[in-house]
Amino acid sequence: MADQKKKKSFFLFRWLKRGVAGNDGEIRDILREEQVQTPFKTMAKAFFHKRTAMVGVVVFLIIFVVVIVGPYIWKLDLSDQDSTMSNIPPGYNLMKVPGEMKGHVRDIAAGGTYGIGIDDKGKIHIWGHTRITDKLDIANVPDEVQNANISMIAAGEDHAVALAEDGQVYVWGNTRLKQGELSKEMKAAMKDPATWNVIQLEASNQFSAIVTSDGKAYFWGNGNMSDIKVRKEYQGNIQKVALTSNEYIALLRDGTVAYTGKNYKTSPFAVIPEGLNGKKVIDIAATSKTVAAVTEDGQVFMWGNARSGEADIPAFSAPIKSISGGRFHYTVLLEDGSVVSWGSNKYGQTSVPSSLKGRNITAVYTGNFQNYAVDDANHVYTWGLKGFLLGTDNLGRDMLTRIINGGRVTMTVGAISVVIATIIGVLLGGLAGYFGGKADILIMRISEIVGGLPFIPFAMILSAVIGASIDATHRMYIIMVVLGVLSWTGTCRLVRAQILAQREMEYVTAAKAMGIKEMAIVFRHILPNVFSLLLVSMTLDFATCMLTESTLSYLGFGIPLPTPTWGNLLNGANNSVVIQQYWWRWVFPAVIFGACTICINLIGDGLRDAIDPKSVER
Amino acid sequence: MTRYILKRIGYMIIVFLIVSFLMYSLYNLIPSDPARAEMEGLKKSLKPAEYEAQYRQLRQEMGLDDSLIVRYLRWIGLWKDVKGEFNGLLEGNMGYSRFFKVNVVDAIREPMKNTIFINIFSTIAALGITIPLGIYCAVHKNSKFDQSVQVVTILGYSIPIYIIVLIFMFFFCVLWRVFPIQGIKTPGITYANNWEAFVDKLYHIALPVIVMTFSALGGMTRYVRSSMIEALSMDYIRTARAKGLKEKVVIYSHAWRNALLPVITSIIGWFLGIFSGSVVIENSFSLSGMGKLYWQGLNNLDFELVLAIQMFYTVVSLLGALLIDISYGLVDPRVRIDK
Repeated sequence: MADQKKKKSFFLFRWLKRGVAGNDGEIRDILREEQVQTPFKTMAKAFFHKRTAMVGVVVFLIIFVVVIVGPYIWKLDLSDQDSTMSNIPPGYNLMKVPGEMKGHVRDIAAGGTYGIGIDDKGKIHIWGHTRITDKLDIANVPDEVQNANISMIAAGEDHAVALAEDGQVYVWGNTRLKQGELSKEMKAAMKDPATWNVIQLEASNQFSAIVTSDGKAYFWGNGNMSDIKVRKEYQGNIQKVALTSNEYIALLRDGTVAYTGKNYKTSPFAVIPEGLNGKKVIDIAATSKTVAAVTEDGQVFMWGNARSGEADIPAFSAPIKSISGGRFHYTVLLEDGSVVSWGSNKYGQTSVPSSLKGRNITAVYTGNFQNYAVDDANHVYTWGLKGFLLGTDNLGRDMLTRIINGGRVTMTVGAISVVIATIIGVLLGGLAGYFGGKADILIMRISEIVGGLPFIPFAMILSAVIGASIDATHRMYIIMVVLGVLSWTGTCRLVRAQILAQREMEYVTAAKAMGIKEMAIVFRHILPNVFSLLLVSMTLDFATCMLTESTLSYLGFGIPLPTPTWGNLLNGANNSVVIQQYWWRWVFPAVIFGACTICINLIGDGLRDAIDPKSVER
Repeated sequence: MTRYILKRIGYMIIVFLIVSFLMYSLYNLIPSDPARAEMEGLKKSLKPAEYEAQYRQLRQEMGLDDSLIVRYLRWIGLWKDVKGEFNGLLEGNMGYSRFFKVNVVDAIREPMKNTIFINIFSTIAALGITIPLGIYCAVHKNSKFDQSVQVVTILGYSIPIYIIVLIFMFFFCVLWRVFPIQGIKTPGITYANNWEAFVDKLYHIALPVIVMTFSALGGMTRYVRSSMIEALSMDYIRTARAKGLKEKVVIYSHAWRNALLPVITSIIGWFLGIFSGSVVIENSFSLSGMGKLYWQGLNNLDFELVLAIQMFYTVVSLLGALLIDISYGLVDPRVRIDK
C-alpha cells in the first residue's frame, strides 16, 4: 500500500516536472507505451474511435435523458382523455389568426380546435384544425356564407353558425344531429324584420342559441342530449344566455339569473347561489360544467360542478366589464382594460401573457381552451392551447407526453428484465462452468429447454395466465420477471464457455494454491475477467428485451392501456385510415423507438469490436 | 450414432413430460369451472338442492374432483379417464375449443395450412437472398456494398416487426395500392377454378411474405457473413489458394462448407418456424394462421386450444433441437459425439 503511494507520487511528480520543464529526454518506445495501457483503456480507446458506435451513444443518451427527465415536465395523467381533441395533427396553428384579419377584427369565436373570425368587411376567416370527419370540414364554408355580409359568428364543438346583416342564419360543419334545423318559432320570428334584431348568437356542443332584442331566446340543435327548451314565463324577458355543454342559464331583463330550461327541478345550475339575491347581475358566462354571474358591485358568483379550479375566483383590481367562459376556465375583462383568467391551466389558458400589460383591451373572446383579446388598436393577443407538437391520438391525448412516458416504461422494463436475466445467467452459468459434471449437464439442459421454447408465444401465455387478475402496476413487474426468466439462456451459455476457458488459466491455479474458496474464485476472480463480454451481451439483450416488451404490448399481452409503452402506442394503428390520415400516431413512436434500438445495437456492436479486436476482421 | 440419437429421444420425452406438466398446472391456476359453466342454463329451472346435486354429479363425470396429477395424466392420455378409456393427447384427442365450438384438431387444420403455405414462400425467399448476400459480403469485405448492406441489416434486426409491417403497409397498400391490406382472400369471391383461387391467395400473401423475408434478412445475412469470414481467415484457405485453386472453388467448396456448420442451426430453426407462424405478422395482416389462432385463443380464454397449440410448439422445438444435433453430426464428422 505504502509502496504504491510512493510510486504514484513519484509518477505525479515526474509528470508535473515534465509538464513544466518539458520532456527530459525520457526515451519511451511504442511497445512500452502500449504495455503501460490497461486493457480497459485500450478498449475504451478503440470504442471511442468507432464512429458509428459514438453516434449510437450520443443519440441514445439524448433519447435516454429525454425519456428519464421528460416525464417530470410532461406529466402523464392516465385518466386524461378528451374526445373533442382526438386526432389533431402535429403543429401549433390552433390560434393562428390569419394575416388578413389583423387590424380588422369584428368578431371572433373559438370552437373545439379551431377559430372563426369576421373582419370588418363581413368576410369569414377560419384557422386551426377544422376537419371533423373524412367528409366534414368546418373550413368548407358554404358559398352563400362567403358572399354574405356576416355580422355575428359562433363556433360550437363541431358546427359553426353565422348571422348575416340581413338576419339570415347559416349553419355548417356537422349538421347530422339537427344542428342545422332552425326551430319553427324561430323561422316564424325571422319573417318579421322589424322584431328580428339579434343581440346574441351562441353555439355549444351540438346546439346553438339566438337572443333577440325583444327578449326572446331561440334554441335549436340536438335536443336529446341537451336541455334546449325555454319556459314560457321567461320568453320575452331574456337578455343574455350562457351555454354549458348541454344546458344553459339566462340573464333576465330585471338583472336576475334564472335557469329557464325544462330541467329546472334537477339541474345543478337551477340552484342559484343565495348571495345573488337582491343583487343586479350585469353579465353571465358558462364553462362546460359550471356557470358564473357578475354582479353590479363587481362580485363573481360561480356554481355548478367545478372540478378544475373554476371556483378559485381571484380578487380583481377594477370593476368587471364582462366575463366569458372556455371549457374549464373563465376570463374577465376589467373596466381598466386588463384581463384576468382563472380555472384549469392545463394548456396555459389562464396564463394571461405579459404583453397584455398596459394595453387597453376592448374585447375578449374565449372558447374551449383558447382566448383571444383585442385591444383598442385592433391588435389580437392569444393565449391558451396553441396545438400539439406531435399531435394527439384517438382519445385526444397528447402524443408527445405519451411517447416520453411510454419510453420510460419500455426502458425501465427492458433494463430491469436484462438485470434479472443477467443475474440468473451469471449465477447458473458460473456454477455450470466452474463445477462441471452433473451440475453442468443439468443446468445446460434446462437452458436448452428454456431457450428452445418459442419466445413470444410463451411470454404471451405467462402474461395472460399470471397477469389476468392483477392490476397494471403489478402486471408490469410480472412482465419484467417473465422477460428476465425467459431470456437468461444466452448469458448463461456465454458465462459458462468463458469460465471453462478461464478455469485453466494460471491465475486461477494461483488463487487455488492460496486456498481461496471456490465460490470466491468463480465470482471474484474469474467473473471480472468475463465482465467486458458480459457488458456486450447485456447491451444487446437490452435492445432485445425492449423489442420483446413492445411486441407483447402491441399484441395486447404486455403492459395494458392506458399506461403507455412504445409498443401499445402503436396498438390499433395497422389499418389504412390511421396509416394514411393519422400518420403522426404511428410515425413518431416508430421513429423514436427504431432510433433507440438501432443505437443500442450499434453501441453493442461497437463494444464487441472494441473488446475483441479479432472481430473487427469480421 | 444410433445410441446417441436414442438417448436424445429419451431425453426429449422426459423434457416433453416436464414441460407439459408445468404448462398444465399453470393453466390450472386460472380460476375456471367448466361444470358451473355447463350448468349455467339450468340454474333457473332447478331448485337449489337439485341444482347442487346435479352440479356435484357433473363434476364427478368431468373428473374435476380428482387430483392435479390424475387430471394431467388423463389429459396427456396415460391414465384411464372417467369412462375407463385412454383418451388424451397421445391418443390424438387434443381437446375441445370452447371459442370455435369444434374439436381443436379441426380448429387447427385450416390455419396450419395457411401458415405453412405462407412460410414456405418466405423461407425460400429469405434463404435465397441471405446466403448469396452473406457470402458476397464476406468475400468483398469492407467494400462500399458490404458497408451499406451492414447498415440495412442493422435496421432489419433492430426495428420491431410491427413497425416494419406499418411501413410496408404505408407504401404498398396505402400509397401505391399494390397489395390488399388484410385478409387471405378477396371477400365474397367465388372462384372459377382452383388456379384462380391459388393466384388470389398468392396475391394476398405477397406482402406478408415480403415483410417476413425483410425482417429475417438482418440476422441471417450477418450470421452467414461472419461465419464465412471466419472460415475464409483459416489457414486451409491460404493453402487452397497457394495450390492455385480457382477462387470459386476456394469460396464455395472450401470456405462455404465449413461456414455452413453454424448456419445450419438457424436454418433448421427457421424451417420449424414454418409451422408456428409469426403472431405479429398474422395479426397485423389478419391472416388466419397458427399465430393468429393462438392469439385469438388467448384473448378469448380458450385454454384447451391454447394448451394444444403450445404443446405443438414445444414438440416442434424439441424435434428441432434433435434435428440440429443429428445434422451437426452429418455435416461435420468432428462433432459425431458418441458419449
